[in-house]
Amino acid sequence: MSEQIIERPVPADGPTAKAPEPDGKPERVASLWRDGWRDLRKRPMFLISGFVILCLLVLAIAPGLFTARSPFSDGFCDLQHSMDGPTSGHLFGYDVQGCDIYTRTVWGTRNSIIVGVVSTILTTALGGVIGMLAGLWGGWADSVISRVSEIFYALPILIGGLLIMSMVGSSNVWTVSFVLSILGWPQVYRIMRGEVIGNKYNDYVAAARALGASPMRIAFRHILPNTLAPIVVVSTMNLGVYIAAEASLSYLGIGVQSPAISWGLMISDAQDRWLTSPHALLFPAGALSLTVLAFIMLGDVVRDAFDPKLR
Amino acid sequence: MRGAKGARWAAVAIVVAMGATACGGGGHTGNGNAGGSSNGVVSVEIGQPQNTLVPSNTYETEGGQVIHALFTGLTKIDASNKIVNDEAQSITTKDNKVWTIKLKPGYTFHNGEPVTAQSYVDAWNYGADQTNAQQTNALFSHIQGYTDLNPGPKKTVTVHKMSGLKAVDDNTLQVTLTAPFSAFPTQLSFSGFVPLPKAFFKDPKAFGKKPIGNGPYEAKTSFVDNEGIQLTKYAKYPDASKYQVKGINFKVYSNQDTAYKDLVAGNLDILPVIPTSGLATYKKDLPDHNIDVPEGAIGYIGFPLKYNKAFENPKIRQAISMSIDRDTIAKKVFLGARSAADDYIPPLIEGYRKGACGDACTYNPTKAKQLYQEAGGLPGNTLEIGYNADGDHKTWVEAVANQIQKALGVKVTPKPFEQFQTILNDLDAKKYQGAFRMGWQMDYPNMEDFLRPVFSKDAIENGSNYAGYSNPQFEKLLSDGDQATSPADAIKTYQEADDVLLKDMPYIPVYFYRLNTGFSDKITSMNITAHQIDWDTVKLS
Repeated sequence: MSEQIIERPVPADGPTAKAPEPDGKPERVASLWRDGWRDLRKRPMFLISGFVILCLLVLAIAPGLFTARSPFSDGFCDLQHSMDGPTSGHLFGYDVQGCDIYTRTVWGTRNSIIVGVVSTILTTALGGVIGMLAGLWGGWADSVISRVSEIFYALPILIGGLLIMSMVGSSNVWTVSFVLSILGWPQVYRIMRGEVIGNKYNDYVAAARALGASPMRIAFRHILPNTLAPIVVVSTMNLGVYIAAEASLSYLGIGVQSPAISWGLMISDAQDRWLTSPHALLFPAGALSLTVLAFIMLGDVVRDAFDPKLR
Repeated sequence: MRGAKGARWAAVAIVVAMGATACGGGGHTGNGNAGGSSNGVVSVEIGQPQNTLVPSNTYETEGGQVIHALFTGLTKIDASNKIVNDEAQSITTKDNKVWTIKLKPGYTFHNGEPVTAQSYVDAWNYGADQTNAQQTNALFSHIQGYTDLNPGPKKTVTVHKMSGLKAVDDNTLQVTLTAPFSAFPTQLSFSGFVPLPKAFFKDPKAFGKKPIGNGPYEAKTSFVDNEGIQLTKYAKYPDASKYQVKGINFKVYSNQDTAYKDLVAGNLDILPVIPTSGLATYKKDLPDHNIDVPEGAIGYIGFPLKYNKAFENPKIRQAISMSIDRDTIAKKVFLGARSAADDYIPPLIEGYRKGACGDACTYNPTKAKQLYQEAGGLPGNTLEIGYNADGDHKTWVEAVANQIQKALGVKVTPKPFEQFQTILNDLDAKKYQGAFRMGWQMDYPNMEDFLRPVFSKDAIENGSNYAGYSNPQFEKLLSDGDQATSPADAIKTYQEADDVLLKDMPYIPVYFYRLNTGFSDKITSMNITAHQIDWDTVKLS
């Protein structure tokens, strides 16, 4: 993203000037990213959440590196150990089926991360594109799109999720991501549309138009870069929200289905015996909380750095 | 009864809220009258009944609980699981074939109509008639003339009265069976055999919403789907003084965990079956207010033998059976609320033989694998096990799936269905190809009840033979057992029929139920027999 911005045809003095105080001129947007990044690196919150997220990504990509065996291997679960508490070698204890909870928690990371990342990419792309179009077109097209977005915006994510998941039928990470995206895009759409409308009457847009720039060029070279910061902020925060939503749907039995592993599903399976064997619930719940917290913290610091207006 | 305790005919999760609104009724405390500090109204958890509350169309435990409070039959099961007369004064026979039943006088329906022998004749003719498609149809098959009323699918019934039924006078009923059937009086205790008033035949549909029975309690309100029904004591019931409970409020729950929480909090008075979440703690949560006894019910893994050839070879079924470690499941998953099944007949029933199933029900993964390979395996080396997600079955089905997968190297997938009914409908429509969980709760304490309604040829069309199993040898032994002249002979022959089943293994017996019931502080003691609350034994504090 930053390369694109550096190549901008508005050569401003961004890359060279240190500019401690952005003076609000659109020409100086390029330095916003640089300033933001410099600002971020100094924040301990960013370093902590960044580290946690990095670990989670590694767990999601290669869970096998951290566990002795795959939870899908034959004979992984032994009912004899059902609900046994933590022991050495099995730090998190066993669940009701006698499966090692540590292994399942580690392998469950992948589904959570997939849902978070895919839903975020889809909502950002969908909301971004539609918001850009609605903002640029204006008029009746804008009205129609906005009303449609409000229909989805008005649906609470869990009720809408229950409804659409039971219509979709098959439940796996991809359908869950799809459903969350269907319900989540209006938020990004609204921000995008607002930013586009706010920017499109600026002088530099008029100047570009006067110089004969095509609408496409105006949209991508002059308007888009100025709208990115709030979108990035909202998307980062949403990552955590979608991961929590996936766990909720799985907990309710309409999200990811076993034998696939999901923290929400593990929590749901453990709740029957919660009073007698709390460990089976606490470890997946802890992993879920940590992940959601990490993404929300990251969103927070990214907002502070890149979008001081939202602070 | 079909489905045993797990057959929760509950609707989708959203109705939990509706069930909860009905919770206010039971907890009201009035000023002390005869019953003590409460108003004498007791609330009871049930699942949504499968059908409307017509006795002959109620073949599951949830509606059965309500029918049992509303109606009185000829015989009943007492606390020690023996059959005793209820509305019958005497039941006599010389040859087990022609039975003379004298009624106790003084019984009336809740609308005032006296109960006569004709009330029984009419009710049984209705239940046995294939035009009415009643769930308990097959139970009437012993009565002479049953076949006239059941000419077969797509044929018109011309005779609507069974020739074997005769109301000699108002208080004398004579029943002729097609062949001697020693277990007939035990069968009469089942709620499908209760009498019906004339009002029923005018409008069966309205009757099903607000039944007019002859039992100790009458319907105060109509049944509301997913909410329940309220009953009040029927003052003209001959034994009314023996009943302390003044009213019953049946509340439909779609989630048994919610019901358990309500019970512990004092918002519910009787929970007939404690859910898994409460099993580890219920004796501590409800000291002196719990019941833990063996029960006449069994859980199976079934196969759609009638249309899926993949399961045709009994060796496949035996291999699957031997992959299941029943003891561990009973102990770890059910926390002692079930015991390992080693027969098709539960231990409570006379004729049960310990270890009758032998090697086929004993955990032996090596032998299982060997049998599985000899039989040529399953197509694609995969197996699906269907279960109803609303009835506490997920955990044990997943445990069974893990064990089979481990022993046979087959990919086993547990497949959730929203309700038990969905599985049954898919089996009826021959749509579902996989294995499925199944259960059976006895209608009356007799071996025959664990054989004919689940495995006989008749029960394929009219009954609960969802496997579609049939074996002429088994049919013959069943009818031989019916004709046995002494109860001991009957048991011996039924055991031979049981042996045929054990060899063929149409269903895999997995566990026997134990009954774990809890009740609130409002009640000091109570009995529950064959899953049905004995209302005269419920004592209030």
